[in-house]
Amino acid sequence: MANGIKTWFKSVIRILDKKRVVRFSISILSLIAFVIIWQIAADISDTEYLPTPGEVLDAFFDSFVTKDPASQVTMWQNIEMSLDRFIIGFLLAMILAVPMGLLIGYFWVPGAFAKPLIEIFRPIPPIAWVPIFLVIFKDVWGPIIVILIGAFFPVLSNVVFGVKSVEPHLIDAAKTLGAGRATLFTKVIFPYTIPYLMAGVTIGLGIAWMCIVAAEMIGARGGGVGLYIYNQAAIGRFDYMFAGIVVIALLGLITVGLASFVEKRLSKWKEVR
Amino acid sequence: MAVILSIQSLTKEFPKDEKRLVAIENISLEVQDGEFLCILGPSGCGKTTLLRIIAGLSKQTSGVIEVNKKKVSGPGSDRGMVFQEFALFPWRTVRRNVEFGLELRKLTSKERRRISDFYIELVGLKGFENSYPYELSGGMKQRVGIARALANEPAILLMDEPFGALDAQTRNQMQKELLRIWETTKKTIIFITHSVDEACYLADRIVVMTARPGTIKDIFDIPISRPRDRASIEFAQLRKKILEELEREVFSVPSTITGVEEKI
Repeated sequence: MANGIKTWFKSVIRILDKKRVVRFSISILSLIAFVIIWQIAADISDTEYLPTPGEVLDAFFDSFVTKDPASQVTMWQNIEMSLDRFIIGFLLAMILAVPMGLLIGYFWVPGAFAKPLIEIFRPIPPIAWVPIFLVIFKDVWGPIIVILIGAFFPVLSNVVFGVKSVEPHLIDAAKTLGAGRATLFTKVIFPYTIPYLMAGVTIGLGIAWMCIVAAEMIGARGGGVGLYIYNQAAIGRFDYMFAGIVVIALLGLITVGLASFVEKRLSKWKEVR
Repeated sequence: MAVILSIQSLTKEFPKDEKRLVAIENISLEVQDGEFLCILGPSGCGKTTLLRIIAGLSKQTSGVIEVNKKKVSGPGSDRGMVFQEFALFPWRTVRRNVEFGLELRKLTSKERRRISDFYIELVGLKGFENSYPYELSGGMKQRVGIARALANEPAILLMDEPFGALDAQTRNQMQKELLRIWETTKKTIIFITHSVDEACYLADRIVVMTARPGTIKDIFDIPISRPRDRASIEFAQLRKKILEELEREVFSVPSTITGVEEKI
């Protein structure tokens, strides 16, 4: 109990830390400045293309309660559909990339085999695949596969890099303590690569998020935030279009925040090294 | 005393360019059960290679190694190793590092806990069970390294310049601690070092090696009783004798090749 009070007290002191307060105030100031400039720009230009922050905020809240005229769903359902695609695509990418990365990183034959393919396919922007994937995999799986490709390469390359950086004396130590090849993988190589994997996941999340919006704009049906943005612009509801962009921004912040939280927890041991 | 480790005409060659580089050549040695043996030599004399072969981490080109009359053909739980770089698993706490080998042997968590408790206390790390390696000083890290190797209950403890990365103060402290641990556990220790002082302070016997190729130059029995006093005359004389032996070796490096041939 006394300990709890002590740590609480310490955290209060830390919050009161002058530099932190100043830094936080400046961050708030930058947001306020952004909104003010937006408001002024909207007032001066006075076009429907650039609604004021207030109008966007109204549209934002309204989009969650009323169905939009284009696709007859609310924002909740759009978010749900986008997240479904996002989660399935991302999980598939992880399921494929992690074991492949471990294999390619550790064994030289699969490594030599995969290297040229990776070098060819990695630089292609995932969105380039959208048209053909929509033809092959149709509107349900097409966007999912685009996300898969977008998230796959950063996770794969990071796992490969992680395996290659395992310190040799850790392998030696494990061997002298009785580790065979299988336990070497599960108890040394895999745990060692987790921080690398998580760095790949954070990058992959950002890319996947870009992919979903683009893929939905080009060819999703039924709903999705990307499709929503596209439709609202098409029917001239620009305040609602901006509301869709705000939703994308918030969801992106949440996913990346979540990933870096998990990354920090799993990589605790690496932080101070 | 029984012979616990026997090495017979051990040679290790590495391919280098078109030629073969002889790292160690024709080494034969017997180590008694419970003995504290130091292997001393200039850098590049192959002493680490020798230890890695004993550990089973590296394969010899020819020759035989037997532990308790059984041929060594790979790493085994009868030999534990302590590394100069500590080689702790950074994602594991002190306790879970010490329990690594026990997990592989599928002991129950209760048994693991009992054994790790014992060895963590033995190396003086009680209270640090849940610390991560990055939270520990160099000396403490190596204590974990020693506890982890001992927890597997090996017959022989192999130590590859274990205190080489520590500052002088910590090093002396760790030497004392190691002798205490050795006296409690009665393990056989093979300890690699390039420090004459360290070897003289610790060893029952000192094996002095030559460089390129690594061979045994001489073996010294150390008759001084423990705890040894570094300031005593006999310690100083011993250190001087071995230092001279070693220096002759280091300064004669350019002519070693012919020197070795003469000796053979």
